[in-house]
Amino acid sequence: MSELPPITYTLEYPYTRTTGPVVGAFLTALRDGRILGSRCGDRVICPPLEFDPDTAEPVAQDLVEVGPGGTVKSWTWIAEPTRKHPFQQPFAFALIVLDGADTALSHAVKARGIDAMSTGMRVRAQWREERASAVTDVYFVPEADAVDTYVPPGEGEVELTEHLISLDFKEAIHPFRERFARGLIAGKFIGQKSPVSGKVYIPSKGYDPLARVAMTEADDVELPPVGIVAGYTVITPVQYYGQKETEPYIRASILLDGADQPLGQQDIKNIPHDEFRSGMRLRAVFRPESERKIVEMDNRWGSTGGVIDHWEPTGEPDAPPEKYLEHLF
Amino acid sequence: MAERCGIVGIGQTKHDSKRLDVSMVGLVREAALRALEDAELTWKDIDAVVIGKAPDLFEGVMMPELYLADALGGAYKPMLRVHTAGSVGGSTGIVAASLVEAGVHDRVLAVAFEKQSESNAMWALSIAMPFSVATVAGAGGFFAPLIRGYMRRSGAPEDTGIRVAVKDRLNALKNPYAHLHMEDISFDLVAASPMLWDPVRYLETCPSSDGACAMVFASEKLAEQTQTPPAWVHATAMRSEPTMFSGRDQVMPQASLDNAKALYKQAGITNPRKEIDCAEMYVPFSWFEPMWCEGMLFAEPNEGWKMTYEGATALDGDLPVNMSGGVLSSNPIGASGLLRFAEAALQVRGQAGEHQVDGARKALGHAYGGGSQYFSTWIVSSDKP
Repeated sequence: MSELPPITYTLEYPYTRTTGPVVGAFLTALRDGRILGSRCGDRVICPPLEFDPDTAEPVAQDLVEVGPGGTVKSWTWIAEPTRKHPFQQPFAFALIVLDGADTALSHAVKARGIDAMSTGMRVRAQWREERASAVTDVYFVPEADAVDTYVPPGEGEVELTEHLISLDFKEAIHPFRERFARGLIAGKFIGQKSPVSGKVYIPSKGYDPLARVAMTEADDVELPPVGIVAGYTVITPVQYYGQKETEPYIRASILLDGADQPLGQQDIKNIPHDEFRSGMRLRAVFRPESERKIVEMDNRWGSTGGVIDHWEPTGEPDAPPEKYLEHLF
Repeated sequence: MAERCGIVGIGQTKHDSKRLDVSMVGLVREAALRALEDAELTWKDIDAVVIGKAPDLFEGVMMPELYLADALGGAYKPMLRVHTAGSVGGSTGIVAASLVEAGVHDRVLAVAFEKQSESNAMWALSIAMPFSVATVAGAGGFFAPLIRGYMRRSGAPEDTGIRVAVKDRLNALKNPYAHLHMEDISFDLVAASPMLWDPVRYLETCPSSDGACAMVFASEKLAEQTQTPPAWVHATAMRSEPTMFSGRDQVMPQASLDNAKALYKQAGITNPRKEIDCAEMYVPFSWFEPMWCEGMLFAEPNEGWKMTYEGATALDGDLPVNMSGGVLSSNPIGASGLLRFAEAALQVRGQAGEHQVDGARKALGHAYGGGSQYFSTWIVSSDKP
């Protein structure tokens, strides 16, 4: 049997930030080639804060210019940058106290090598050609490498910024989940029967959540591809980021015969919405074996979308409510 | 509880779909300053700060309590973050009250917030990710089948939810802080709104809001010094249960019933319907009013809808519910639970303005979250416990 694909996720969404008066002024100036700090009592804080950490009072609204030169207070070398780092070549992250400021700014220093970095060294801000009203509009270099360039001012004040934030990660899959996934690819529903309560869970989490005992391969049971609609909703899709559906669709929980917990969030597809109802008996129609793939599988919920093509009515009489009312989901 | 705890300051922002006039720190600050002002206190009078909000994924700020510390006078003070999904606002109030009741601190500031416009909770609740269900449907897609289950089990008239939606929006018109002010709200308008998550209509769901809520808690001696008498915390309770297990009653979770019993026992309440003057409960979809009327033991099983239907839960009913307009009128998720708790306190302090229930002396604040699995509640009163 072929290996299951690794269980990987990408969380990604465009976020916005309302900058407020202080950070907005800071980002506007940064875009236009100047670095600003806020005055808090006798101190100048850069990057500026809206509120003085000592008194919790608002900082003075007239920010003061600092830099573009500064002194490195501490640093670390990034020998192997990831795709999200500010440079794709080795560089340093440094705490930089800009001239005129009393606190350090954490930022990137583009140095020729680790030997070019030292605590106490002088650095100078450089502006990127393409600026996005973000703190990454600027970076630092050792003073000797600095080149002064003209930074043409942008238009308007920065009040709202946009950030596409994403996170990739992988997870090792639980042995039971792997057997569940392999079962799906073979066209079978594999659940687990608790040796304590006798309750049948599908997909199981590998333990009986009430008795809190682990279940093993010996507790695996195969369930038929037939069950009843325990609960459902018809969703009119809202076009938020990542939504692929455009027309109203059904999401149903289906209690397979012999199971004590329904399969949640099943995509129904071919049944007219006005004919769909709780208690209806359905049969799973698997995709052709060569097209079955495991998608969005994890250790908690388990997805069947890449394996089951759709659900079709069996034509049997509906199940009475007492069979499914405790199994909504 | 060892020490008595009084609520001496209450503040909230104007809730709106997009508060583009303030940053995240500006938003929490607005609520916190109003609470301090109400308490006639300043930042230096506060011993500790408790911050609550829903998952970090909602705005994409990891551990926002660190970033918010400066704006909340939190530097060099104990600061705690609370997170219990949608019930977090309630839990935040309970943690703050517990710090005073335990004698750890004399004055605690609790702040809860959400700036939903900076992201999209619908997405955050829909994507395939650990610890969450890939519904591709948002919270409504999750709760709609439970509502359908309640409708079938109770035999409630199909327009019960519409009546709740109208009542709460009418109450919101009396609350200047509410997000939705729908002057034209009517039964027909709600009934004609699109079916978003069948059987839940668009106008039977909560909005997405930017907003924050803050409260100041004080020990007995300090609470007695305030000009406006405090709201005394009589009882607090939290209960939870797993999202899925065989035999789980998701329509009326055991955790809700256990929570209610524990709360009333602590408060010495034997007949909640009679002894509680008003209740502010977490109703993000209209049908949850009758469901939680049962979940909080105000009504017999499957009869909560009668309270809605007979007008008992209206502002002039015998047990007004969601006097502020509720979650259906303002939903900055992380703050929503604390707003419920705050409304209960406003009522017993006589500070609720146009939505004040005459003579309210004992009130319930209620929040729930996750897949109907986390519950936080409290009873506050104008009388000392």
